[in-house]
Amino acid sequence: MNNLPRVFILGDNIDTDNIAPGGSLHLPVEEQRKHCLESIVKDFYSVAREGDIIIAGENFGTGSSREQAPILLKMIGISEVFARSFSRLFFRNAINVGLYLGKYSGECPFSNLEDVEIDMKALEIVNGTDRLKFEAPSDILMEILRSGGMVNYARDMLDKGFK
Amino acid sequence: METPDTRTAAEKIFSRTSGKECRAGEYVWAVPDLVYLHDILGPLTLETFGKIGGDVKYGGRVITVNDHIFPPKDIPSANNIKIMNEFTVKQKWETIPFGEGIEHTLLIENGSIKPGMLAVGTDSHTVTAGAAGALGVGLGSTDIAALLALGKLWFRVPETMVLNIHGEKGKYITGKDLILKVLSLIGVNGANYMAMEFHVDRDVNFNGDDDLSIANMTVEAGAKTCLINNRNLEDHEDFPESDQDSKYTRMEIDISSMEPQIASPYSPGNVRDAREFEGIKVDQVYIGNCSNGTISDLREAASVLRGNQVRKEAKLIVVPATRKIYRQAIKEGLIDIFLDAGATVGPSTCGACAGLHMGVLARNEVCITNINRNFMGRMGDPTSRVYLSNSYVAAASAIDGMITVPGE
Repeated sequence: MNNLPRVFILGDNIDTDNIAPGGSLHLPVEEQRKHCLESIVKDFYSVAREGDIIIAGENFGTGSSREQAPILLKMIGISEVFARSFSRLFFRNAINVGLYLGKYSGECPFSNLEDVEIDMKALEIVNGTDRLKFEAPSDILMEILRSGGMVNYARDMLDKGFK
Repeated sequence: METPDTRTAAEKIFSRTSGKECRAGEYVWAVPDLVYLHDILGPLTLETFGKIGGDVKYGGRVITVNDHIFPPKDIPSANNIKIMNEFTVKQKWETIPFGEGIEHTLLIENGSIKPGMLAVGTDSHTVTAGAAGALGVGLGSTDIAALLALGKLWFRVPETMVLNIHGEKGKYITGKDLILKVLSLIGVNGANYMAMEFHVDRDVNFNGDDDLSIANMTVEAGAKTCLINNRNLEDHEDFPESDQDSKYTRMEIDISSMEPQIASPYSPGNVRDAREFEGIKVDQVYIGNCSNGTISDLREAASVLRGNQVRKEAKLIVVPATRKIYRQAIKEGLIDIFLDAGATVGPSTCGACAGLHMGVLARNEVCITNINRNFMGRMGDPTSRVYLSNSYVAAASAIDGMITVPGE
């Protein structure tokens, strides 16, 4: 068994009720994670391994403002989510909790659960000759991600005497 | 022509709240006029605020609302409300009396949200503030925590899409049908990151409750925020609007031949004419939520239900969005009509709309409702199916136990 990230291929409009179902939202996150993506991938929380990635279609994370959506993905071990587009609230929440995102536009050459490597310099997902270029968040968003999320970023700002 | 002086309404509001003249696409640090937190996303906000550390720097108005799981259904939800209240007392913030109502309806009803404001909340349906002429922006819990800690927050000034609505509406047509139609036209990410600005002609004859219904579901098109200017309202001139020469995309919609609409599972953008779904058997009908638990909705539903019985295989649950609406419905005899028909009338709560409590769906159950989302598992079991419609159609379907369009 290797430690390469595997790909979970998901479709368009994966919504926040798929990722963090409303019915368990009042419970501690340790409980909520068991329901993450349960309506699409059986036992996702236990099947996914640390470092795995998601490649989805359009409008990933559409729906609610619930930040539990990116939090649960991160807790389960998803290291980065790639999509053709993201819904606004999911995008913002993911950056805030330090979950890396990438946008792509080409055809995805990978199949479900395939092993891949992520080249953060070339901004490519790679397996042999198969490659998928992606675009990383820019400016302030990358700064927030690099600090590990908005909590650290805000702390740094306060330390620097933000007014 | 775009000149340095012409701006969209969103640009004007972000210019005021950021203290610098700004345009769509720019990133600004702005101070919202109003912040509201609720009982299931608020506690995470407060926990995250604690992790950042320091005092509350945000100097504007903060209101906490216990509406999502109220009355609490179990120990975790009761604890959430306790956490919210203790923090509210400590910070000398305002809170809403228990059971007063669902935040998006209530804060417009009680005048907390005013035209021209920038309001932010922990809930995606904060866009509903657009019905009162305010820019409502939904944010995540960490965003609100950072706002409380820093006193301001970064925003990207949104591009604007203006939708001009004209034509006289048909008898069973409401704001719900208009917004569902718009979703079918532009899709569920058709307004991603944008401000949707509706200019509704007087002749359309929509009331303020229709505006709530329209504003509420703009987030289902991905919108960051929205503004509704309904020329049929007496005070419409107080509502902000984009300058005519400012930069926006435009869409014209004539509603005169529009039929009632339905969004079928599992997307609010899966919209077709309601009559195409007639005959689908329903197990539950749910009327009430932040957009469509208004007195207009209750009147519409009661007009169809009067003298009729809910089919015994189906459950009808009616939830007035606020205590004031509930009381008004009692005065008008609407609650009697619901009870006579065999409905269960619940207290004001987000409840079943988000699959939280008081009307959760079982395996394979079908529900028709006037709520805003029909995602997989939204109201309960992942195999349940939710159809979104206006209140007339929902009520008529309760009588027949199957999807029915009134007036046919």
